[in-house]
Amino acid sequence: MADYREMWSNLDMDLEKHDVLCQVLPEVFGEVYLSQQKRPRGMDFYDFVVSEIHGVRPAELIEHQKSGGKVFGTFCVYVPDEIVFAAGGIATGLCGGSQFWVAAGEKVLPPNTCPLIKASVGARLDKTCPFFRIADMFVGETTCDGKKKAWEILASEVPMHVIDIPQMKRAQDVNAFEREIHSFIKVVEDFTGSKISADSLGESIKLINNKRKALQRLYEARKAAAVPISGKDALLVTQIAFYDDPSRCAQMANQLSEELEERISRKEGVFPEDTLRIMISGTPMAIPNWKLHHIVETSGAAVVVEESCTGTRYFENLVDETAPTLERQVRALAERYMKTNCACFTPNSARIDDILRLAEEYKVDGIIDTNLQFCNLYSTESHLVKQALAEKNIPVLHLETDYSEQDFEQLRTRVQAFLEMLRE
Amino acid sequence: MTGIGIDIGSIATKGVLIKDQSYYRVILPTGWNPRAAGHEAIAKLLALSGVERHGVESVVVTGYGRVAFDSADRIVTEIKCHARGVSHLYPEVRTIIDIGGQDSKVIQLGSSGQVVDFAMNDKCAAGTGRFLQVMATALGLEVSELGNVEDPNKLLAVSSMCTVFAESEIVGLLARGNPKEGIIAGLHQSVGKRVAAMARRMGVKPQVAFTGGVALNRGVKRALEEELECSVMVVESCQYTGALGAALLACQSGKQ
Amino acid sequence: MSNQYIAPFSNARDINLMQIKAAKASGRKVVGIYCAYCPQELILAAGAIPVSLCGTREEPIPAAEVLLPRNLCPLIKSSFGFAVTDTCPFFHFSDLVIGETTCDGKRKMFELMHELKPVHVMQLPHNNVSPAAFDLWADELRRLRLRLEEELNTRITDESLWQAMELVGQERKFIKAMFDLNQADPPLFTGLELLTVSWSRNFSSDKGGLIGQLQQLLENVREKPTGTPAPRVLLTGCPVGLGSEKVITVTEDLGAHIVAMENCSGYKTVDLQYDNTIDDPIIALAQMYLGIPCSCMSPNPQRLELIERMIADFKVDAVIDLTWQACHTYNIESYHVGKLVKEKGLPYLHLESDYSNSDKENIKVRVQAMLEMIEK
Repeated sequence: MADYREMWSNLDMDLEKHDVLCQVLPEVFGEVYLSQQKRPRGMDFYDFVVSEIHGVRPAELIEHQKSGGKVFGTFCVYVPDEIVFAAGGIATGLCGGSQFWVAAGEKVLPPNTCPLIKASVGARLDKTCPFFRIADMFVGETTCDGKKKAWEILASEVPMHVIDIPQMKRAQDVNAFEREIHSFIKVVEDFTGSKISADSLGESIKLINNKRKALQRLYEARKAAAVPISGKDALLVTQIAFYDDPSRCAQMANQLSEELEERISRKEGVFPEDTLRIMISGTPMAIPNWKLHHIVETSGAAVVVEESCTGTRYFENLVDETAPTLERQVRALAERYMKTNCACFTPNSARIDDILRLAEEYKVDGIIDTNLQFCNLYSTESHLVKQALAEKNIPVLHLETDYSEQDFEQLRTRVQAFLEMLRE
Repeated sequence: MTGIGIDIGSIATKGVLIKDQSYYRVILPTGWNPRAAGHEAIAKLLALSGVERHGVESVVVTGYGRVAFDSADRIVTEIKCHARGVSHLYPEVRTIIDIGGQDSKVIQLGSSGQVVDFAMNDKCAAGTGRFLQVMATALGLEVSELGNVEDPNKLLAVSSMCTVFAESEIVGLLARGNPKEGIIAGLHQSVGKRVAAMARRMGVKPQVAFTGGVALNRGVKRALEEELECSVMVVESCQYTGALGAALLACQSGKQ
Repeated sequence: MSNQYIAPFSNARDINLMQIKAAKASGRKVVGIYCAYCPQELILAAGAIPVSLCGTREEPIPAAEVLLPRNLCPLIKSSFGFAVTDTCPFFHFSDLVIGETTCDGKRKMFELMHELKPVHVMQLPHNNVSPAAFDLWADELRRLRLRLEEELNTRITDESLWQAMELVGQERKFIKAMFDLNQADPPLFTGLELLTVSWSRNFSSDKGGLIGQLQQLLENVREKPTGTPAPRVLLTGCPVGLGSEKVITVTEDLGAHIVAMENCSGYKTVDLQYDNTIDDPIIALAQMYLGIPCSCMSPNPQRLELIERMIADFKVDAVIDLTWQACHTYNIESYHVGKLVKEKGLPYLHLESDYSNSDKENIKVRVQAMLEMIEK
């Protein structure tokens, strides 16, 4: 790895603590990723990104800042990145996915809070993540109780804008979100000092759509009978998409997809024939949370699709590129984002339709519906998911877990028992 | 000035009698009857010191059995008693970590030894003496042996803090031929992590004192120091600090 | 109940239940509510009886846990448990249930309740300052009005709505007057008495009668002999009701007074007043209700201001902040509350608990230790 210590120290990071994280990650990555067989060559890029996860992209962001650009840190797929890029800014994902940051988050948040929220706040407070040091503005949203209230604490640390996400999806709620995007435009314009035009927004809509199309293409490849890529690798691509430059992300995902498509034409898969096909649905898995995928794929099954924010919810549905005016573009954005089906909406039956559709498209043998601990939304909705899947005779296992290794063996037992059940 | 402090814990009952400048102390198992244990402690203290019952101005009772005890002049929580006892012995202490049989507590002291804030574990036994007790049994050891048997150089992370999960986890670790010494170091780490998280929420100010029965375990002390990144001092006769605090309060209230 | 004047309020539930049963038989409609944000004035103006639905007892929780996650707020589990087992007579009598999106757990629980009763869910905004939030909420009230008219087959006129607002305003005023008497040292009422009187509002089929009783209480109680001075504790946090009052009883058994409650059965809702210079009653109602400083609002500085004011008015010695298990908004907001109280140099105790008694001893130790901090 290149030496980034000077950069980190300029970012006022806690180098000593950060070293601990830097030591652990390669070890885990080696065990979880590099041990896999028949990995596509296209994964080399992503392996490289992970090996320099706190170096290469942060350095690019700092370059951007040096030339006067702003960096916006985001936590959710409902934040319209298009607005940020249209104003010449860069949007980057910030969600914390490691237990490493949880303890620092627990200094100000109750232990009984979702690990993603604790890790995100902890990464900032403990100064152990460069992305959290670089971001000029943090963009939060009101998707859930935990995040909504945690932003109040984080807001005393950093410049913060919170996007109000409606809780229902009626016509008036789509209108409300449209107004919310207009307010966000104002905030971004004021912060960057550059005006967003129909031209610039049109460009950024295409930019982000292209990223979505590339990821859609990648996921399309996973539908093949002989799966050309492991679930772990596909998950990593999506996880990195949150941080990467959107056009490079599209380019790399397209390259990878090309390779996968060749594999498909040769009927070449990464798993033995008749490997069970599993869908994982539920809450997001921020990098480096690979726990559940690792358990499934070391227990003789393949994860072929994720119905989650680090999966289909991130890139399904494109923004209409034909809107001629700024007004109409914003409308198109509102309509696209409000099609995303998170459990924070009530009712949210469209998510169940999504799960049923994906189950068919990806020909899954079973579904693991999972949620991060203390997520009242997905845990309560799991009952409705279970009910709908039972009607269609699709087996489902509900798992609640966090970032710690505590329940690893427990989960493995449950996953293996579920897989045994599917094989019968 | 003569006062008695009795700390009726879930496992042991401790008693301290203070007569002018002389201190007497006893310890006995609480057993099934906390009230009887309290009376027995008083009787033993009186025999030990030669003081008559009517010569005792005040009896202060603390500990989980405090409510069951029927002849106390005053009932005080362990939190206040530990604070009083520790700050009497070590006035420079600002943070007390008390890990007992059933619960663990972190107490923050002000400049005159008064309680400024405190935190306490919830219902769960994780991070308490009870956790170690269960683990010792699973390892075929006495709980008092854990501190001496551990080897931090062979540390094996025991990731479960939950008593039930941790028990099956160590059974698994043993089955795979891992050394006991490393597993025990891991258990101590687990307790240290849990209690340190509670302490950090409140803020840790030096000097940090460690008390309660688990303070006798030097492995837990080591783990706490690693987690809190500061030195932790084990209180002398740590099992008695609650009773000592109660006795000091007894003398004080006698004066009033 | 030590205070003879409180006695009429302590059996209000049973008396009202019989009255509601009779009213129901004679064709009156009943509308069940769960939350302080629900504008009961609209229900009254529709000629129906608003009743608070059961959700403060532990008994039906196991039944709820069959469908709901175990790690969920006991209030939500209890509410759903009562409904699914049909053991809450008020739920049983309800023609319509009003829910609202105050928190993640409730929002999703109502999706399951739809199978049991007609449920109308109001979308509550995430903040109470932005014009968009206000418009949204006013719009939700208009929608509720339409739904009530449709469901109950009636018309809600502005006139009847103003009348209902006047009536509920009176009730709030008298409850507040009663609460305020506790500014005296020693206080006139125990925490349990405050709760009992406040609680009786929830089931009353006859607002006028209750207002009369309250007036009577306020006149009588001035004769009440004064009690003994003791530490004065303010209770804030999640809603507490009869059946989930363990923190109040534990604290008072230890010799302290709960002199005031900031929660939903306490001050949070009695301070509300509508602006009668506004022409549209819906706007007046929307404004008033959006002023409730619940932790579901973000940010929520009004709650901190209210707590600060109550600490001064009620000469508070210590603050207990109660969070029900898995209530993220109150749990996280405790960070700010704790900071505020500690800055004032007062002991602050944050408790996270549920409806069971299994942690009673643990709570007792903590409350007692907090009270010891007052003694110095």
